[in-house]
Amino acid sequence: MPVKVMFVQLASCWGCHQSLLDLHETLADVLPQLEIVFWHTVVDYKLHDVEKLPDGSVDVGFTEGFCRTEEDLHLLKLARQKCKLLVSYGTCSTYGSIPSLLNLYPIEEALSRKFKEAESVVEGRIPDKHVPKMLEHVKPNREYVKYDLFLPGCPPEPPLIAGVVTSLLKGETPKLKDRTLCDEWPRVKSDVIVLKKVKRDFEGIPEPEKCLLEQGYICMGPATREGCGAVCTSAGVPCKGCMGPGPNVMDQGAKMLSALASIVDYESVSPEDLVKAVKDVVGTFSRFTLPSSIIPKAVFKKK
Amino acid sequence: MDGDFEPKILGIFCNWCSYAGADMAGTSRMQYPPNVRIVRVLCSGRVDPQFVLKAFELGADGVLVAGCHPGDCHYVKGNYRAERRIALLKEMIKQLGIEPERLMLKWISASEGAELVKTTEEFLTVIKELGPSPLRKKS
Repeated sequence: MPVKVMFVQLASCWGCHQSLLDLHETLADVLPQLEIVFWHTVVDYKLHDVEKLPDGSVDVGFTEGFCRTEEDLHLLKLARQKCKLLVSYGTCSTYGSIPSLLNLYPIEEALSRKFKEAESVVEGRIPDKHVPKMLEHVKPNREYVKYDLFLPGCPPEPPLIAGVVTSLLKGETPKLKDRTLCDEWPRVKSDVIVLKKVKRDFEGIPEPEKCLLEQGYICMGPATREGCGAVCTSAGVPCKGCMGPGPNVMDQGAKMLSALASIVDYESVSPEDLVKAVKDVVGTFSRFTLPSSIIPKAVFKKK
Repeated sequence: MDGDFEPKILGIFCNWCSYAGADMAGTSRMQYPPNVRIVRVLCSGRVDPQFVLKAFELGADGVLVAGCHPGDCHYVKGNYRAERRIALLKEMIKQLGIEPERLMLKWISASEGAELVKTTEEFLTVIKELGPSPLRKKS
């Protein structure tokens, strides 16, 4: 009997769903075993079709994206109601991800920037008819509903997805590895790392074998969960932290900030130099996890 | 309301210098504001940024981190690390809408009881001028 699945898209870029297509031939084995009851990019079922389904009648639900509007929230709650097992698919759904950095600004300011002040806008106005209401700020989805499984990644890598999907089809509970990216990948590291200079990603060309952090690039490897297959770091691009915090970490940003501050050479890098080199502290360290950090959003003075 | 505002300040002091300095102030019968609640850690380099963020999240109006003077650290480099962490953290809380002045790093040695009194009093004045923390829960 095919497994009933639904794919729900909340506020996101579709990247995670596209990553599913990267499964290529594996899809041919998986697809016949699935009965898709809702997936608005792929099949023509409407929201009211889902609303009509009995509660708990769908075997597995995947949610991509976070809740930006009331519509998203409705869809998320609906998915929880209809699915036996709910999987948080991708970093947006699990931690909030990059678009949630908007939590640093008041929503009124953001709307006005987007619809009135943007350079391409002529006589702009903020849409208020026939559109769902925006939520004040982004919270991680797990604060709204209970999840059974988290599958982070921006987007989740095909081998990770394949592993999870196949073990779900076998009726097993998939488990993510609880280690950091640095444990997983083979770049050469010294016992003691001392940074003489903190570099930005575009400065120079990184050596192919040596640890990127050791070369002065801000690489989030030590504070990031493994599972991505080190796709960026093997290509010489410093880790940005999309897999979210490693085991036993509350705040990925704070941990990485701490790590970087402790490895710079205090004789050649002053605190001011360090702040200057990092530039955007929240955007660098909490790029993917701001809504699930200890302080999840900026506070604004009331005017 | 502002007239009765009594700030809650978390002090995170290092065992070898600043905590001993607070002890010194106590044994010398010097008084410092009771608004400062002191937590002892073994080194200012032990102060995880998560501690500071958590304190602000729980509504602290100010956080004072104190350690040994540069060069005096019992563990050689802990205070240099603290200095860099606090510098980055100030930027971080600024982006999150909390005034960076609410976070202070100060070097206080074991013999500087008077310095500790002066620091806490000055910090209290700064915090009183800033008013309650924007994250403070209404009681």
